[in-house]
Amino acid sequence: MSKEKGSDDITDGQGAYGSGEREDKKKGGLASFTISYDDLDAVVLGVPVREEMKENVSLHENEHESVTLTDGVDSEKCISHLFFLPKGGYPADMMMDFATDDDFHPALPFFQRVDSADIIYEQKKKRCKIIAGRYAMGDLLGEGSYGKVKECLDCETLCRRAVKILKKKKIRRIPNGEQNVQREIRLLKRLSHPNVIGLFDLQYDDTKKKTYMIMEYCVGGLQELIESTEKKKLPVWQAHGYFCQLLRGIEYLHGQGVVHKDIKPGNLLLSTEGVLKISDFGVAELIDPLAPDDTLTMSQGTPAFQPPEIASGQDTFSGFKVDIWACGVTLYNLITGIYPFEGDNIYRLYENIVSREMLMPTDLEPSLQNLLQGMLEKEPSKRFTLYQIQRHDWVKKHFPMTSECVPIPAMNGDTCRSMTVIPYLHNLHFGSDDDEDVEYVTEHDLEVMRGRRKGSGDFGNHSGIHSKSSKEKHKKDKAMIRKRNLSFCKPS
Amino acid sequence: MPLFGRSQKSPSEVVKALKEALSALERGDKKVEKAQEDVTKNLGVMKSMLFGSSEAEPQNDILVATLSQELYSSNLLLLLIQNLHRIEFESKKDAAQIFNNVLRRQIGTRTPTVEHICSRPEILFTLMHGYEQQEIALNCGTMLRECCRYEALCKIILYSDDFYNFFKYVEVSTFDIASDAFSTFKELLTRHKMLSADFLENNYERVFSHYQGLLNSENYVTRRQSLKLLGELLLDRHNFSVMTRYISNPENLKLMMNMLKEKSKNIQFEAFHVFKVFVANPNKPKPILDILLRNQDKLVEFLSKFHTDRSEDEQFNDEKAYLIKQIKELKPPPQDLKLEATH
Repeated sequence: MSKEKGSDDITDGQGAYGSGEREDKKKGGLASFTISYDDLDAVVLGVPVREEMKENVSLHENEHESVTLTDGVDSEKCISHLFFLPKGGYPADMMMDFATDDDFHPALPFFQRVDSADIIYEQKKKRCKIIAGRYAMGDLLGEGSYGKVKECLDCETLCRRAVKILKKKKIRRIPNGEQNVQREIRLLKRLSHPNVIGLFDLQYDDTKKKTYMIMEYCVGGLQELIESTEKKKLPVWQAHGYFCQLLRGIEYLHGQGVVHKDIKPGNLLLSTEGVLKISDFGVAELIDPLAPDDTLTMSQGTPAFQPPEIASGQDTFSGFKVDIWACGVTLYNLITGIYPFEGDNIYRLYENIVSREMLMPTDLEPSLQNLLQGMLEKEPSKRFTLYQIQRHDWVKKHFPMTSECVPIPAMNGDTCRSMTVIPYLHNLHFGSDDDEDVEYVTEHDLEVMRGRRKGSGDFGNHSGIHSKSSKEKHKKDKAMIRKRNLSFCKPS
Repeated sequence: MPLFGRSQKSPSEVVKALKEALSALERGDKKVEKAQEDVTKNLGVMKSMLFGSSEAEPQNDILVATLSQELYSSNLLLLLIQNLHRIEFESKKDAAQIFNNVLRRQIGTRTPTVEHICSRPEILFTLMHGYEQQEIALNCGTMLRECCRYEALCKIILYSDDFYNFFKYVEVSTFDIASDAFSTFKELLTRHKMLSADFLENNYERVFSHYQGLLNSENYVTRRQSLKLLGELLLDRHNFSVMTRYISNPENLKLMMNMLKEKSKNIQFEAFHVFKVFVANPNKPKPILDILLRNQDKLVEFLSKFHTDRSEDEQFNDEKAYLIKQIKELKPPPQDLKLEATH
């Protein structure tokens, strides 16, 4: 923090630069790099070396002109991740800090506050990247602990796909990470059902240590759908439709001897046609086809969706009944917007799952209450079987579309979720490489644009959008330099 | 609806008119052409009531309900199917669409058409016999598969003697009919897992003796498809007890070993997936163990060279390696265990 303070002092009193000057600075070889921010790239032009700075700086003669930004296109996409390496060196006090460190790097960056007026943005260049000579990459769809998921186009079949990019470095850091990835791949290879996410291809990049899983393209998950609504729940008819599809998927999985063990709205994705796809088989387990029953011993699922037999720590339990319970919690959650059991921490939560009676919302119709009661029966042997659920009145009932359908939330303002690979392809075939015709946008312009976007409200009445823009706003208020990107400074 | 003019007929009028026209067709009067025309016309009217047309929305629920009620009470569905081969080509498709639409009708948890058909199972049997008539086979197929969606109807079909006709239908010489019949056959055996598991268990002997015929068929497609389906059925956990029964019969093992040696690579591959279960079974009955032991060396050698070009398929290679290891390690049971096994 003190460093930040120090750099504050340095930049104090420095004015904004005109755009012409900026151009010069760039040519002059000052540090410049881009970071993506929303749909723009920030071009940060070098920070001029100031007299007062030089005084503070130790006399290192190496000139570091280029800046390496470790996570240039981090998902955070936030301009608060700017790092600068001043031409000339680093302040002495910083040197002291790191001088004893084994990991000392001569190009140690120096952090400096940048006035927002110094930042300009350019339209992000959609440089087309094609992996394995076959898949043209599009925009980011989501990000998990294992890596990113991007949209892509299969250039051979012209099918729209999603690619899960697994970074070996990241996976290693997760407990059981590599094992779970292997398990997921092995399982997905053998599964094929309309309600189970399809894996089409696997590609490895040995130099980048990345694995690419080419999967079915999904526009979002039930979790996003719930979160986009005001009351965090779906109309009963819509939840019923998804639930029936979930049952079909589970029936198939259980028939194949696969216990998913992590059924929850976040793992139920939707295709462009609105077909539910069960995904994330990282903790799933395959029961030996010749094993007489479905007894399992290990569970790594999501706590709020765990049944009492796991919450109480039993050594062995019926695998299929675990999925039934999780389906029950999922249905409960989709319809009521809350969880049947909650707790401040995992111990409380488990205690409640094991011993607390479930709170049944009284406004649900009796047959639905009966179904939930049966699925969330604490005693596994008394809990409904899949067959009982499928034959249950509420499941068999026909629900007409009585209210508006909760649509799939927009992504980056696009409610149609049109294919994001196209701009990249356009750039590949019609784009020019020279930067001269690039238009720059200043921070001020951005502010204006953002204000306009918010004011007009033409981006739909989507609460999702609003919350997003407010999030951006929030980010902007934070300090310009964040400590979290210092991870490379830590001794390994 | 320019073709049919005013479509303001009431549902009961349409049903009555259609019934008369169908009866006339059935009797084979001199005015066959006129009757055919009437059938076409009235089916068209009925279809637009249910589906709407380019100019009109589908009719309201009350009208559809009355129409369905009339269909049930006049027993028109059966009459329609019985005379399906007599009506015009395009109208056959209309009839199938009307049938499927009415079948899907649901009021709350009730499906009235399903109930109606349950009370008149002749409808289902007539549909199945449709596979014997080339000109209506495919239409009947679409209707049958729609029926398969409902457990109650599926049950009637499975437990009927006519079900065993499917073993003939899937082998008829007309390829499209045979494939259609096979997809219906597969649907019947896989759509409702618990139902078909019970069915297979209760009718094990009869079904599998027929099934043997498919596996030994002269027809390559039949052999391959039925072998694939067999693998799917046996490896579905719902059919666990059927599988254990199947893999304890030495005749089945012999058949699979012969299929491993078939000329067709695809059949070899499908056979592998059934064969592996025999080997992986931890409680192999003595006759099975005997066969495997007798062929121990040959099997190891055979499997080592089996589909070596599938290097991409990790799962297959793992399984193959596992099988080779298992077979290598096979030992005749000690004397005392043998006694226990025969006991």
